[in-house]
Amino acid sequence: MKILNYILKFFLSLQTSLWLLGLSLLLMLVGAVIMPGNPAFQELHSIQLFRWITTQPLQITWWLWGLIGVLAVMAVNTLFCSVESIIKKRKVTHWLLLISPQVIHIGFLFILLAHLLSSAGAYKMTAVAREGSLIRISEKAALLKVNNINIKLDYYGGIADYKVDVEYIRDGKVFERDVIRPNDPSDKTGVNIVVKNISPYPREAVLLEIHSEPGAVWALTGGILFMAGIVCLIMLKVRIER
Amino acid sequence: MTLLALSFALYLFALWKRPLLYGGLLLQIAYMVSRGAELGRLPLVGPHDTLVFLTASIAAFAIPFGFTLKERDRFFAIIAAAAALFTAFAMTAKQHNSPLPPVLKTFWFEFHVVLAFMSYALFGIAAICGGLYIKKQQSTVDGLAYRAILIGYCLFTLSMIFGGIWAYLAWGTYWMWTPKELWTSILWAYYSFYLHARLTPSWSGKPMAYLGIVGFGVVMFTYLGVSLLMKSSHSF
Repeated sequence: MKILNYILKFFLSLQTSLWLLGLSLLLMLVGAVIMPGNPAFQELHSIQLFRWITTQPLQITWWLWGLIGVLAVMAVNTLFCSVESIIKKRKVTHWLLLISPQVIHIGFLFILLAHLLSSAGAYKMTAVAREGSLIRISEKAALLKVNNINIKLDYYGGIADYKVDVEYIRDGKVFERDVIRPNDPSDKTGVNIVVKNISPYPREAVLLEIHSEPGAVWALTGGILFMAGIVCLIMLKVRIER
Repeated sequence: MTLLALSFALYLFALWKRPLLYGGLLLQIAYMVSRGAELGRLPLVGPHDTLVFLTASIAAFAIPFGFTLKERDRFFAIIAAAAALFTAFAMTAKQHNSPLPPVLKTFWFEFHVVLAFMSYALFGIAAICGGLYIKKQQSTVDGLAYRAILIGYCLFTLSMIFGGIWAYLAWGTYWMWTPKELWTSILWAYYSFYLHARLTPSWSGKPMAYLGIVGFGVVMFTYLGVSLLMKSSHSF
């Protein structure tokens, strides 16, 4: 019982939050020193974090392991503090002032969840394609056909704009058509297809990247909640001050 | 560039005559507008344009913030000195005049940059307030630093969200393992630490002021240090 009490006290403490934030800062600072000088981190752009981290030596990944651990404890600490705050202060008159920080905390937890999902389940594939190329984009037997690559050059010969017409084929039949533009990916089959690079010479060609980010929706939801909470908190603080 | 040189001179003289700070700001706004018209886009790419925008943001935010202070003359003098210094750096920095790659032609990018630099400006104001607090220990200065950081943190978070949305649309992923992303997270975690530390009595007063000053050091490294020294999607 004493140990349980101690654990509860630990997770309900603001001091714990500060220590965890401080520790995460320290670990990220170490990472910021280790990461730029090490080419092994380039691979992180193409495979999931959890798969990559288990294949790399501990000398370069220890700070990431530490950070994952600290963030896990921070998630529990955030949850406990929020629940306690709501229980303790539920009778206050400014309930919005009570709920806003908790909305921020929920947003933060969603963002952590997003990173967890992406670190475990994201995938990326690249393919060079020309007009007429066929690319297998997933195990669900869907094919992507690049129909037309349209590149607009500027006065200096640089790429001003582009447009790639694609169609999705399953069982020999076209079931969807789409156009990929800058900042406008194609996502008709649950994966995000973007043009990573495009070349007008000697023949139009594109480097396509096919992404699956299972955490994206959670990250967006978390971001919206975080912002809603913080904007609400600032507005209430201004009103109370006035 | 004449407008910018004039604004530098006005900021410098604003150390003695405060109204010249407004003149410096107006000239800098005029410079940004003229540059925007010349380029046909918002001038927000490269160290030159971003330094100009940062300076103008510091001066613009300082005006409403400073009027609530008793120590306003000293506050505006430091703001003027900082604005003159950043403008001088901007004048020596390389201009990015070539057309933007298609992926940068989106309002997600523009909002991402604008919000980031507005937040940097507010963190800078908080650092100046921190310096003033260490000297005189006035609660209004401390309160102002807190307000600047709270609003700056809000804008910085929004900038990160916009950056994530833009990265997802442009490159298919909302997070990339580059030094800039890592330093941005460090900065965000740092100010999260500041805002939580403020809730505990042991951190109140001078420690918060020092935290605010160190925070701006982290801001400057994240902005200039990482962009100039390390390879990432944010390199200058």
